[in-house]
Amino acid sequence: MKKVANYLWVEKNGEEYTLIMTPELQDDIGTVGFVEFTKAGEVAKNDSLLELEASKTVLDLASPLAGKIVAVNDKATDEPTLLNSAKADESWVVKLTGVDETEFNALADA
Amino acid sequence: MMSQADRLHFLISYMQQENKTEQSVPDDFDERFEVFRGLANERPAVKVSREFLDVQDAFLSEYNTDGVTDFKSLEPVSKQFYIWQGDITTLKIDAIVNAANAEMLGCLIPNHNCIDNIIHTKAGAELRLACAELMKKQGRKEAVGRAKITSAYNLPADYVIHTVGPVVQNGKVSPMKQELLAKCYRNCLLLADKNNIEAIAFCSISTGVFGYPKEAAAATAVAAVKQYLEETGSAIRVVFNVFDTEDLKIYENLLT
Repeated sequence: MKKVANYLWVEKNGEEYTLIMTPELQDDIGTVGFVEFTKAGEVAKNDSLLELEASKTVLDLASPLAGKIVAVNDKATDEPTLLNSAKADESWVVKLTGVDETEFNALADA
Repeated sequence: MMSQADRLHFLISYMQQENKTEQSVPDDFDERFEVFRGLANERPAVKVSREFLDVQDAFLSEYNTDGVTDFKSLEPVSKQFYIWQGDITTLKIDAIVNAANAEMLGCLIPNHNCIDNIIHTKAGAELRLACAELMKKQGRKEAVGRAKITSAYNLPADYVIHTVGPVVQNGKVSPMKQELLAKCYRNCLLLADKNNIEAIAFCSISTGVFGYPKEAAAATAVAAVKQYLEETGSAIRVVFNVFDTEDLKIYENLLT
């Protein structure tokens, strides 16, 4: 199941929710040149997931869901343009668990 | 005591010495001020002597008394809302909002006609130093939609709240940019309330060189402020500062 919120796709696979850059977001920010992921282990809704500096803007990317961060796309730290990729396995941001399913279901369908 | 013209001469010479440049200082006061402004705009956030600051503060505090409007003399258009046409650097109020850029050090282009430039020019070198301190602590550029507070130094206002608005190209406002602009207003208000600020003046964020269409920006600004006030019950009084008559009409249509 796939939803969209805060300009991120939210893909649910069992208990794991992967947040992925949408083409709309990628268009809005331009080429990503620098990223720094949050060091928090858990995020509340609208907490910052990462700060990025791109050709068109500097942006604080906010989490559309509360949850525990179980993985971040570390590769993007060394290669920020991965976040501009059309492939979800390159442009994913973080993976969350412990997400309230009703909150997920309330998000807009992708 | 030094005259205002003498003070400018001293300040210009000081900055020229720092730059190791030498140009003749114009006799005409306004031209002399523009030379001072240009040098101050370009001056990086590096230590400055006590003497420079004393002379600069003496100059600016006198210069900035010219044509000051006291917020207390303004009439609200409705409950907590005010519209005021004028130069935001002449408004005596708790806080004014500066439309900053991602470096958040103030405009570095000499004599550039933007709000960031004139705010930094008239606040004085202390403002850039304070911003540099905040940015050093942060360690990276300022994201769109947040807010930071500093003293207003030599301005008639007490505080400057700095925020970076979204940049719009070709007049196309994406939903994200609209949301980010609303976030600017919201975060400025949150920060103002946190600092017990009772009255705040917003410039039209993003509508200058950042290219946000004026009408759309004003609609988002007013909606974001109203939403914040409704949600929080904050008693903060909000001035929408407009520069030209076109802006004035836009805000009047939205608020009256």
